[in-house]
Amino acid sequence: MVKFLSKVCIIVAVVTTFVGSALAEYPTKPINMVIAFSAGGSSDVQARIMQKYWNKYAPKPWVFIYKPGAGGIIGFTEIAKARKDGYTMGGLNVPHIILQNLAQNAQFNPSDSFDYIAQVVNDPQCIAVRKDSPFKTVQEFLDHAKVNPSKVKVGLVGPLSGHHLMYLDFKEKYPEHRLTHVFYKGATDQNAALLGGEIDIMFGNLNDVMRSIDEFRVLGIAAEEKNDFLPGTPTLKEQGVDMVSDIRRCFAVPKGLPAEDLATIRKIFKEICEDPEYLADMRKSGQPAEYMDGESFAKYIDAQQQASHDALQKANLLKK
Amino acid sequence: MNEFILPAILNLFEPMNFFLMIAGLVGGIIVGALPGLTATMGVALMVPITFAMNPISGLIMLGAIYVGAIYGGANSAILICTPGTPSSVATTFDGWPMCQNGKADDALHVSLISSAFGGIIGTFFLLFFAAALARFALRFGGPENFWLCLFGLSTIAVMSVDNMGKGIISGAIGILVATIGLDPNTGSIRFTFGTYSLIQGISVIPCMIGLFSFSQVLYLIGSKREYIAKCSTSSGSFMYVTKYLFTKCKVLLMRSSIIGTIVGMLPGAGGEIASIITYNEAKRWDKNPERYGKGCIEGVAASESANNAVIGGALIPMLTLGIPGSAVAAVILGALMAHGIQPGFKIFTASGELAYTFIMSQFLVCLLMLPVGYILCKFMARLLNLQLTYIALSIVVLSYIGAYAIANSIIDVWIVVIFGFVGYFGGRIGMDTGAMALGVILGPMIEENLGKCVDLANAHNYGIYGVMTEGVISKILIFALMLSIVTPLYVGITRGRRNAKKGARHA
Repeated sequence: MVKFLSKVCIIVAVVTTFVGSALAEYPTKPINMVIAFSAGGSSDVQARIMQKYWNKYAPKPWVFIYKPGAGGIIGFTEIAKARKDGYTMGGLNVPHIILQNLAQNAQFNPSDSFDYIAQVVNDPQCIAVRKDSPFKTVQEFLDHAKVNPSKVKVGLVGPLSGHHLMYLDFKEKYPEHRLTHVFYKGATDQNAALLGGEIDIMFGNLNDVMRSIDEFRVLGIAAEEKNDFLPGTPTLKEQGVDMVSDIRRCFAVPKGLPAEDLATIRKIFKEICEDPEYLADMRKSGQPAEYMDGESFAKYIDAQQQASHDALQKANLLKK
Repeated sequence: MNEFILPAILNLFEPMNFFLMIAGLVGGIIVGALPGLTATMGVALMVPITFAMNPISGLIMLGAIYVGAIYGGANSAILICTPGTPSSVATTFDGWPMCQNGKADDALHVSLISSAFGGIIGTFFLLFFAAALARFALRFGGPENFWLCLFGLSTIAVMSVDNMGKGIISGAIGILVATIGLDPNTGSIRFTFGTYSLIQGISVIPCMIGLFSFSQVLYLIGSKREYIAKCSTSSGSFMYVTKYLFTKCKVLLMRSSIIGTIVGMLPGAGGEIASIITYNEAKRWDKNPERYGKGCIEGVAASESANNAVIGGALIPMLTLGIPGSAVAAVILGALMAHGIQPGFKIFTASGELAYTFIMSQFLVCLLMLPVGYILCKFMARLLNLQLTYIALSIVVLSYIGAYAIANSIIDVWIVVIFGFVGYFGGRIGMDTGAMALGVILGPMIEENLGKCVDLANAHNYGIYGVMTEGVISKILIFALMLSIVTPLYVGITRGRRNAKKGARHA
């Protein structure tokens, strides 16, 4: 009898938990947050700041899962293939996901695999030189490169990265300015190479350039507008170079989430991104925050996908 | 600088900071001793916690974890032949034989004292020569790092004098394994045979856990022994080792620590190369190089002093230029910047109190490591009293957990198993697992730097040849490399002659 009663109790308990969770508002349990880079890296730091404010607006916390490897491709795949229940989300980087799909046989497609929650960071590319470099403006660098073909060494992080895309764009627009490009594994190596004089100039992200800003001079920012971090630095467009290039970070869930859950998540992210304290924390840690809602971001991705496809096709870098 | 030193020292003796140092050390040593949990991971996991502290305390704690973890790696290297962090691969070469000879406590004490010594020397350079050394470190570009890695690889020749052929083949297999995954220079996919999970490549740590520790388990199970080794903890061991190190190994400790500091400063090279190079140098300059690899104190002392000296070195370009000299330094840099502290030469004036408190805390942490480590050593050595069955089981469990924890990836567990068998059967036919690990560690760095040289050649009048041989540092490294390859050949030939003579006399 006791056995039977206890069984009934268990069944009742189990059923009520399930029904309860079905009725309660999403989220009812902690959410897995997949980070496709190592703990302590720039993507992780940003997500950790975000988490602080997520806890303020949402009832359940995040559980961080690190899936680093192969430039993020491993973690991004993990997000794309996760269960579509809203309990796994993750950070994506653009143009990484686009290039990996176009050139590296990634098992996801940026247009079909993800529902985008929000863009949180827009980190523009800069053209930077050492403080003691003879180049004071972008024009001086261009003039020098034109009369000294292949002599100007430009450092890029890559290959198949935002830096690489910007370089392809440069080659397209200035075919007679031949540069010698050197790929580095990461921004650390790239910064060190510029400081040590191995390269003359570099295309680097603002966030990375800021680490050694005392030693660098930024000639121009490849963005539509000037940036708060370097208010005195003109954009490339202002200097007559029509180039815009950046790395963006967004959060996404696997495509196919129930519409109301997606709406809930998007709303929470919007609240976080507009929180002044969040913005202050982002600024303090050198992260160029820029919010864009999920729907607009999906459109942005589609446009970028086409542009990158064309650029890679011209450079013969599309996957065969 | 002087106006900051006194407040810095006072900061250290605040009870909270003092507590954080000890807690960081203990935590670090445990993280370091567990294979798979690396110093980088230990520090990275604690970064979010520092956001709630004031920046000085946060930095002190991260620094203590870093020091503890790098030292802690030696414990498992000695006791179960598993480098707890990649920096202690070279510690297994002599630490494990010492353990098998029943001198586990000596080996543990050697690693403790050498680590503390190396750490202090590294911090000394950080305190007094940071500015000058940072500029020097920047002169190591693609070609210099390429030659440095080749120089590290030449250790294979020194390691396996008796059997250079198999040593070279083992190293080559290691390098081949390291090419699996994405090509660093073109981004194309290599040797994955269509397996999507292999795209991330064979990670160094699971591979090492397999080669060293899983293969050891297989060996131990086959050995029918009841215990790993006889463990007789003699009470005079610590004093004996201290005396030995500071009379017979003064020069060796100093040389290893300086090499460690210099390698640590280089952005592309960290503790794993430093300890291998110093081991190589220790053996080269020794009067009786035959002792190495059979359990000599000098081998452990060289590797362990170097990998802790790397810390001070790695912090030099991180603080002065914002360029971390190691993966852990990169994580600490992230924490610094999250607190709104801008690295640069100005850090010593603008945030002088913070910078000098951090540096002084490194001294104190190294000193505190002696008592803390001494107590932990006592416990660690007891592990050997456990029956082999239990130890073998726990190594297997720890290996799996450690491998999985690196990237939360099940493929890494398979890598452990596969390389365990490679290590075991390879060892039986005389292959050298140490050489193979060297190949796996150094292969990607060699390839990456070679790629940079090839890129740079487009801008050079004499092409790749010009790039590779232009710099003074490159020339010195090429010379050292030649020397490193020729010496063991020469030693081998003369020894062969001597033996031949002896043989002739006997006949």
